[in-house]
Amino acid sequence: MLGLPVINNLIALLLWESFFVLIIMPGFAVLGTLLLILPWIERKMVGRMQWRVGPREISPRTRGIIQLLADSLRFLFQEVIIHKDAHKRYFLQFPFLYFIPVLLPLLFINAGTAGSPLVPIVSDYGLQLMVALICLMPVFILGLGWASNNRFAFIGTVREAFLYFAYEIPFIVAVFAMVVMYGTSNSVGVVDAQAGGLWGIILNPIAALTFFIAALMATARLPFDIPEADQEVSFGPFVEFSGIAFGLAYVMGYEKMYVLSALMTMLFLGGGSGPMIPGLGEVSYLIWFVLKTLIVMIVVVNLRGVYPRYRLDQGMKIGWNAMLILALVAVAWSLVIGAII
Amino acid sequence: MEDYKNANVRNLNSGILSPFRRWSSKWSLWPCHFITSCCGVELAHAFASGYDGERLGTLNLGISRQSNYIIIEGTITRKMARALQFVWGQMPDPKFVNVIGACGQRGGIFWNSYNITHPSDIVPVDAFIPGCPITPEALLRGVRATQDKIVGIDRKTIDFKRVELPFEKQLEERMVPTSPKIFAPTPAIKVDVGRDVDWGEELKENLKRDLNGLYESITITDTNCIAIKTTRENLKAVAQKLRDQMKVDHVKSVNVIEVPHERKFIVEYIASSYTDEALMPVLITVFTEIGLKDPKVDSLSPIWESANYSEREMHEFFGVQFDGNKGMGRKFVLAPDTPDLPLRKEFKIAEERYVYEKGMSLDECMVPIEPPKDLYTPIPEEFIEGAYDKDEIVVPIGPHHAGSGHLRVTFRIKGDIIVDAIPEPGFVHRSMEKIAENKLYIQNVPLFERLAINDPVNMNLGYVRTLENALGIEVPERAQYLRTIMAELSRVEAFYYDAGIFSLFFGHTTGFMYAMAIREMVIEVLVKISGSRSAPSFLVPGGMRRDITDDVLKVIDNLTFAIHKRMKKFEDIFVYNPVTIARAKGVGVLTKADAIRCGMVGPFLRASGVNYDLRKIAPYEAYDKLNWEVTTGDDGDCLGRFLGRLAEIKQSIRIIKQAVDAVKRIPGPILSDDVLGEYKEAANDIKGNFFRVFGNLVLPKGEWTTVTEVARGTLLFSIMSDGESNVPYRVRVISPCWMNLRGFMEALKGERYADFWAVYGSFGYFPPEADR
Ligand code: SF4
Repeated sequence: MLGLPVINNLIALLLWESFFVLIIMPGFAVLGTLLLILPWIERKMVGRMQWRVGPREISPRTRGIIQLLADSLRFLFQEVIIHKDAHKRYFLQFPFLYFIPVLLPLLFINAGTAGSPLVPIVSDYGLQLMVALICLMPVFILGLGWASNNRFAFIGTVREAFLYFAYEIPFIVAVFAMVVMYGTSNSVGVVDAQAGGLWGIILNPIAALTFFIAALMATARLPFDIPEADQEVSFGPFVEFSGIAFGLAYVMGYEKMYVLSALMTMLFLGGGSGPMIPGLGEVSYLIWFVLKTLIVMIVVVNLRGVYPRYRLDQGMKIGWNAMLILALVAVAWSLVIGAII
Repeated sequence: MEDYKNANVRNLNSGILSPFRRWSSKWSLWPCHFITSCCGVELAHAFASGYDGERLGTLNLGISRQSNYIIIEGTITRKMARALQFVWGQMPDPKFVNVIGACGQRGGIFWNSYNITHPSDIVPVDAFIPGCPITPEALLRGVRATQDKIVGIDRKTIDFKRVELPFEKQLEERMVPTSPKIFAPTPAIKVDVGRDVDWGEELKENLKRDLNGLYESITITDTNCIAIKTTRENLKAVAQKLRDQMKVDHVKSVNVIEVPHERKFIVEYIASSYTDEALMPVLITVFTEIGLKDPKVDSLSPIWESANYSEREMHEFFGVQFDGNKGMGRKFVLAPDTPDLPLRKEFKIAEERYVYEKGMSLDECMVPIEPPKDLYTPIPEEFIEGAYDKDEIVVPIGPHHAGSGHLRVTFRIKGDIIVDAIPEPGFVHRSMEKIAENKLYIQNVPLFERLAINDPVNMNLGYVRTLENALGIEVPERAQYLRTIMAELSRVEAFYYDAGIFSLFFGHTTGFMYAMAIREMVIEVLVKISGSRSAPSFLVPGGMRRDITDDVLKVIDNLTFAIHKRMKKFEDIFVYNPVTIARAKGVGVLTKADAIRCGMVGPFLRASGVNYDLRKIAPYEAYDKLNWEVTTGDDGDCLGRFLGRLAEIKQSIRIIKQAVDAVKRIPGPILSDDVLGEYKEAANDIKGNFFRVFGNLVLPKGEWTTVTEVARGTLLFSIMSDGESNVPYRVRVISPCWMNLRGFMEALKGERYADFWAVYGSFGYFPPEADR
């Protein structure tokens, strides 16, 4: 088989660095696996926190790890209802269009370490492009809500819009603080600047905190799941979605979280830096990178077991007051520390 | 319905992908729980820590579009039927329905109610789980049965067979409950039957002086009960005087009694005072008699705001017109297709039989229930109109919403601020008052327990005490203590249910799980005592069914210690969570004046600064012999109400501890001699003599009103007896949640939209209790 030129080329393509990073690890393949595993981890860990076991009976030996497979298959096979008053076209298109801003930032993620970058596209404006794409996401959620033409979707959409403004500026400013700190916005340069274990989170903890809270708001996780609050607006923009359309929307939240966590890993946790695992070569950086991202994600999902939800006005107050101030302080901090270093 | 039957299972079996479809449906049944009635309490347990339904892959979601499974919990009333149809219709195929609880099948305890339907007439049902209430185990077994059905495993369902069980000669024929019941043909109905009690002469003189010329007669009907008879014209003036001069500031009950053979209605208001300490325990009944034709009285809601909703309710039930109440002529509690004026005597419901006579067809025992047809109930026109111009949006919430019980509240929202909120209760109105008129006195014990099976013992206690007061029964001391213990356990249990819901409304599932886990411990103890998780029906007039043994007392004692640690954890994670405090503090404030005006009851009244606890004011059972304090607060906001109740629970545990210690030293029977009569051998265990002792209870003539402090406030039972029938002539029950509804709506105004859930949770509003 290996003699056939096609296979050779295929393998060569797969192992071509940029391609591998984008498609396999930490790109789409890992993302897909994580999407199936992470909600399970979430349900298990939160279950533990709540004195119960979480999904189990589906495969008792493996502690129910394939639970999400059943859920997603079920969504796939379920009827998709488009109700009379919906904007039919938008209603069906937006869940798919939403993929674009969610997946594109992966192009600029550097999963390598100082000296050996692993990034699909090297660009001097990598960070800016990523931030721009991330800030594009809420627009699609607004579109979803608008197309649903439902009272709760309407309220949820408006909430999303309000919250979007509240977290977006501190988020951008926090990233800006790190650009100032590292003196570059190239994802290769960003990771290089954190060489020697001097991670961003140590250099500028304030920016890291602001970034983290903004990520919580952006992914609508507790305590900021205000736009999707199921007791209040029953999943807000997604209320009318059923079957695979809802499945996509549901999964999208996790994808967004993945992108933000990956960005956080790159900006603050030293990218893929870590001890070499013998025999794996550069792949060991990728493993470190995915592990770090996973840890960030687990922290994010576990907050569900700890916090109730803020009210909209409180969430906005936090965004416009505390976080904005924190972000500005972070910039000042960067200037000072940057000058010292 | 027949065409739909099993359609979804068939649907799953078609196509080449069917194995995957079956497998994924099986393991991913996300229930859109349909909490309709008491059984919903057990559903909460089935999905909380103790039983954890999520093990089976069923994740409770509550939003119809995204779920594929309905669990119908208990009674579907006519009003709720529409919501059920809607929700079912909204769900994407393939979808499955599970009905739990006896009353979802053929009505259960409410089988002859005028307001229920059979869910199987409305949606195709895949599995039924019997039980009243069902246990969480049974519920999960139902989920498994549905899973089996999906993959094609046939669980043998029951085949009904008729068997003849002849009496063997040597067996003594057991006495069956009296049947048929005795209804007096022309009963003598009188509200003001005078009684010689050593109380109230002074008050009577005062009233006579103040109400000079306005009353027809003033009678002392019992200790702490006084009845003022007046004319229709003077009713309003009397109320005005009472309020302005005697500080009688709220109404506890509005009642109408129909006496068809005398062609009259008796309209009565039971009022009391929260401001005058001397008057606090006194129930002042103001009543008037009006003709059956064109019945009209002046509404007293301008004077006593707290009478408002009850007047509307009475208007619906009897057709009495309360002039001046804005809700006249409109449906409030009932559905559009419920029979009109259902509480009138001429409207008869099917009668229960206890003896099966040979040759009787089973159909005679079944009431045919017409499935509801057109169930469209629009939002009142005047509520929508003008909204657009004023830049407001109308948002109806409920009766099926992920964060509402069965209550519909229609909001007008401007920006994020609630301008107005109109409640629409009655989705769980199971017509208890009507059914109670057709049951023997003793049979109403389990019936009224279904008001709130998360506070069962207190519900029993309220009813049983009314009977005891009427019959003049002294409860033996040991039973008093034991009843106190059980009542307090029930209070703890009810609090944790409400606390769980409160935290769930904030999106805090951990708080919910912890609260349910604590509740589970209390329930465990109730099981030890009575054998039933949530519906013990353990108290009977004159005492209780059987003694609580020393080792069970030991368990109760241990519970008071074990619960502490868990309580601490719950407080750490939820109560003192900064987010909870931010959400609840200063929200939904009810000032003292507002609380009194709206006639709030229980801990919610105390949170607004009124020191009113019936356990202290008019002590019953062993409460005056134990050492405990009433908790009051001044804030009147959501946090205050919640923390107030939390503090109260700590007092409850203190009471339980003391009572357990005390009761060990008190020997003696647990059933009073007064009620046992010749069956003295039953003094420690009523088993075997139950219907002999209680089957023929007849209350003395007159109206008997008793108030009890249950977990959520004052529970009022007002039983009218004609002195000859062995069924009550009329039972009026006012549950705390019903009284709190007015204040609940008041607290909402001016708050933010998301605060509705904070306010809701802090009032512990439990729709089955409110709707009765
Ligand atoms: S009466 Fe209540 S407890 Fe009994 S089956 Fe019906 S809902 Fe359940």
